[in-house]
Amino acid sequence: MHPLLAGRLRVVLYLLLWTGIGALLTALLVRLEPRSVPHALVFVGPLTLVYAFVCLSALWVCRSNHVGGASPWRLGALLAGAALQSATAWVVLAAGWAALLRVQAGIGPDRDGILRELGVLFVIGFVLYAQSIVSHYLVLAFEAARATERRLLESRVAAREAELRALRTQLHPHFLFNSLNSISALVGSDAEAARRMCQLLGDFLRTSLALGARPLVPLGEELALAERYLAIEQVRFGPRVAVERRSDPEAERCLVPPLLVQPLVENAVKHGVAGRLEGGTVRIRARRSGASLEILVENPFDPDTPPRAGVGLGLDNVRRRIETLEPGSADMDVSRADGVFRVTLRLPARESADAA
Amino acid sequence: MQRETGSVRVLIVDDEAPARALLREYVAAHDDLVVVAECANGFEAVRAISEQAPDLVLLDVQMPKLDGFEVLELVEHPPCVVFVTAFDEYAVRAFEVHAVDYVLKPVGRERFDRALASARDRLRTPSGGAPRAEALAAAARPPGRHLARILVKDGADVHVIQVARLDWIEAQDDYVAFHAEGRTYLKSQALADLVATLDPARFVRIHRSYVINLDRLARLVLEAKDQRVVVLKDGKTLPVSRAGNARLRELM
Repeated sequence: MHPLLAGRLRVVLYLLLWTGIGALLTALLVRLEPRSVPHALVFVGPLTLVYAFVCLSALWVCRSNHVGGASPWRLGALLAGAALQSATAWVVLAAGWAALLRVQAGIGPDRDGILRELGVLFVIGFVLYAQSIVSHYLVLAFEAARATERRLLESRVAAREAELRALRTQLHPHFLFNSLNSISALVGSDAEAARRMCQLLGDFLRTSLALGARPLVPLGEELALAERYLAIEQVRFGPRVAVERRSDPEAERCLVPPLLVQPLVENAVKHGVAGRLEGGTVRIRARRSGASLEILVENPFDPDTPPRAGVGLGLDNVRRRIETLEPGSADMDVSRADGVFRVTLRLPARESADAA
Repeated sequence: MQRETGSVRVLIVDDEAPARALLREYVAAHDDLVVVAECANGFEAVRAISEQAPDLVLLDVQMPKLDGFEVLELVEHPPCVVFVTAFDEYAVRAFEVHAVDYVLKPVGRERFDRALASARDRLRTPSGGAPRAEALAAAARPPGRHLARILVKDGADVHVIQVARLDWIEAQDDYVAFHAEGRTYLKSQALADLVATLDPARFVRIHRSYVINLDRLARLVLEAKDQRVVVLKDGKTLPVSRAGNARLRELM
């Protein structure tokens, strides 16, 4: 159904518009052929009402023929054809109506008069339909623009939400509680180490807040943050947590959404290395090949330990973020094989924010 | 359980060295306490509790291999326990297993001393709060979730069997025999209690004495009128009771 018919107010306004058109037509016909206004109204009224609805069909003509889709000449011919067809159908109807009125009720002009009137109606019908097509195109273009704007707004809101969620889940309170507990322990035995741990924790918190406030950060800074996190975990877990980082300078210059790698590293410790008696190495790799940036985080895990609650939350978060921030151009791959858990991120490599 | 010396024997269980150091320091301030051992994971804790029979265990929850609740499930005479963890969400389960106290990290000295005072009270009235085995088993399983793995104690060793690896389970008098990948593990438990903790979409009790893992089912054979058997993928044949048949039909 035509969207115009969906609201009562819209229908009333539309019919009012056509009442005006009908009045003008009546005035025109009265001047063209000598007849009384009521007689002209009887003739024009129903015809106008019918044509009001015929003109709505322009919507489907417009919808199936986008401006810019076909060549302008073809489109023009097509639209003119649709207008001609509607005008012709209208005039045929008018001819029948005029003949009926003349024979049955004895109103209306003679044969020549009717023919003249039909000629005028044909031209008017063509113009009215053409006008309807133009109006429909305008409305459609307006709606398309509004939909685009809404989509843009929605995706911006989604990105912002993902961002907030990421930041909120960033600082797991347990991480803080455990770190504070470690500091408290070190104060008694090794004051210097306690001081270092405070420093590390302070640096980590400050950097993660600073990075989180920027839309894009160089990967090198993001990796430095992940390393600070791991340094704190190394104080807690001792030699059970080992770290190995290999990243190309070209990769480190690439810009990435902030706090993308840190949750992966946190996951690698919490649900991987920390769950193993012998611990293990968290491996971080970053390399750039042409237009693509690959970041890999892997860790051994204990296959006998069922996943704890919370596994995958951090991963889902990262996945959602790259989907909203880099739709279509980034992906995340998670694999679990031979006791090794591996997350691979592929992002477009870019060195300046302009390309974003 | 207090010894003649009058000192309380304490076991410290935490997988983080600094956390153990802190507890050691707090314990050292009390003349009547002595640390008998420190453990860095659940396996060590089970062994140490059996061998040392400590009066009091300061127990972390999240550790490699076995968590704190699983440790308690595995020891025969659960000692007095104070949980020490950064997670506040285990508190309810902790008191279900009659933990003396539940202390959150970072641990303050005063809070720790209060927990110790409660532990001393508990030790003076022995058997006052020994948890029942069922409570321990239930607490080892997070609420609303099915059993993910089976813990079987074998001397001082502990076998950890993921439920996905189980082929079939058999009732043998007071024991349950778990068959997994060609090996059999015996655990003192009633089959009915076990069935209640397993995922009903995966494990079916096909007979008074048998439960199978549906993933291992190869086919259901009608041997005689009203007499059916299941054949597992490894060729093992097990009888099916009438009620078991109905349960099987429902799931297939």
